[in-house]
Amino acid sequence: MKKYITLFHINWQNSLQYRFSLFVYIGGYSLYIGVLLYLWSAIYSEGQSVGNYTLSQLTTYYILQLMINSIIFSYVSWDVIDNIKTGNFSNFLTKPLDYYMYWFTINISGKMLESIFIIITAGIISFFVSDYISFPEHLSTKLYFLAAVILGIILAFELDFCIGMITFWLTQVRTFKYMLQTMILFFAGAMLPLDLFPPVLTKAAEFLPFRYLVYFPISIYLGKIENPLPSFGILIVWILIFFILSRVLMSRGIKRYEAVGA
Amino acid sequence: MLRIITRYLRLYKAFLFQSLKEDMTYRSNFLTLVVMDIGLVSISVILFKVIYGHVNTIAGWTFHQSIILIGTVGIVREMAYLTFRRGFLELGNHIRTGTFDIFMVRPIASNLHLAMRHLSLSESLGEGITGIVLIVYGLIHLNNWSWISFPLYILLLFNSLMVYYGFSLIINSIVFWVVRSQELNTIIYFFMETSRYPADIYRGIGKVIFTFIIPIGIIATVPASALTGRLGWDFAILSLIIGISFLGIGLFVWKMSIEHYSSASG
Repeated sequence: MKKYITLFHINWQNSLQYRFSLFVYIGGYSLYIGVLLYLWSAIYSEGQSVGNYTLSQLTTYYILQLMINSIIFSYVSWDVIDNIKTGNFSNFLTKPLDYYMYWFTINISGKMLESIFIIITAGIISFFVSDYISFPEHLSTKLYFLAAVILGIILAFELDFCIGMITFWLTQVRTFKYMLQTMILFFAGAMLPLDLFPPVLTKAAEFLPFRYLVYFPISIYLGKIENPLPSFGILIVWILIFFILSRVLMSRGIKRYEAVGA
Repeated sequence: MLRIITRYLRLYKAFLFQSLKEDMTYRSNFLTLVVMDIGLVSISVILFKVIYGHVNTIAGWTFHQSIILIGTVGIVREMAYLTFRRGFLELGNHIRTGTFDIFMVRPIASNLHLAMRHLSLSESLGEGITGIVLIVYGLIHLNNWSWISFPLYILLLFNSLMVYYGFSLIINSIVFWVVRSQELNTIIYFFMETSRYPADIYRGIGKVIFTFIIPIGIIATVPASALTGRLGWDFAILSLIIGISFLGIGLFVWKMSIEHYSSASG
């Protein structure tokens, strides 16, 4: 455990170096969310409405999505892919570190600074649209939301790690990863709330694990789910499934590994 | 002036053939890129379709008019990859490894050399092709357009390309002050992604920002407006002025920033 705490600390310091990049990234993504907020307010100002959402619910949805994109989503697989492709992965085989735990730690510590930045950014944007931000009334809603976010971080990491593991089998993994990532964002509800989709897609999204990354926590926050406990049960099952899958892919992958470029 | 232009055109042709040869070397990669692009554009179309399942118009734009918008973004993107975009994606690498020196010593403008060195047909080809298909599809369903608007449309496409180039120059110039450009290009990525939405959604301060400062509103909305017969002459001329200004400012910022470059290889 101690070695992972040290790792956490080192990576945290490393991530401070890249604060400029982080700023730029958050700037770009905020721009995107800002445009979407304009889109919704234009639609609502013409007296139209989207599904059973009010303008303030939609505004809140996208500001939460802005935060979730940084806090929940894991992007370490870019580095995992690099690590395996360049052959640096060989170093890990000789170290007393668990590869899965290594990247989990990197992911969490890399997110600390980003999360702080994004909360500040979301605060600033919220200030401009303060009339359209809603807050949950009950303490239990807030706690459920928090629990969903924490579990979401774990599930997102597992999915991302599995994508990284594909590198052992596929050399052109980047393009493939990009496609998968877009599908995940789509079915997570990152682009549009899932209940606005046509029934077929809404149904499909229900059977996929991705909804727990964005749509589920935000729906809890907006009070759209009466009793979230059964969904939490399913979420935990998904986490277990992907934990096992990560492990299996990793051990199979290592057997296949040929140390390219080493 | 004319001699300079013909010289650059001749160089462009040579560089383009060279890039095409490189593209063709990786044929399977070529196909993956095209398929992926078509997939990504389809997702945007689906998203619009879903929104239009709930509303009739977005800031006055019907579904088929919005389809023309999405198509226009695709065409501008492909035009950009055929002229400069990938060069700027490679800029960070050139600076980090010191190979940017080459661009400084050649007898052509450094930004144009960088742009032409990495031309790519395949990178955004899927989006370009789907773009044309979407525009044709959109026009079939509209009845108030005429062939006369096509020359204006093409002129405004080049204007958008100018805005895009100017914006890229400004953003990428930051790389000479802070060495890392991958992230800078995410800004440009979001810049193009958000240009898919009709600029008529912006109100108040947003309208000023997205027209003059971060000209998202010019890229696709202006040409698409011309094609769908909703563009006034005043705004067409204003857009051209913005296009020329952005290119001018971009070149100026680039020139200024390049003096800040210190080679990494020396």
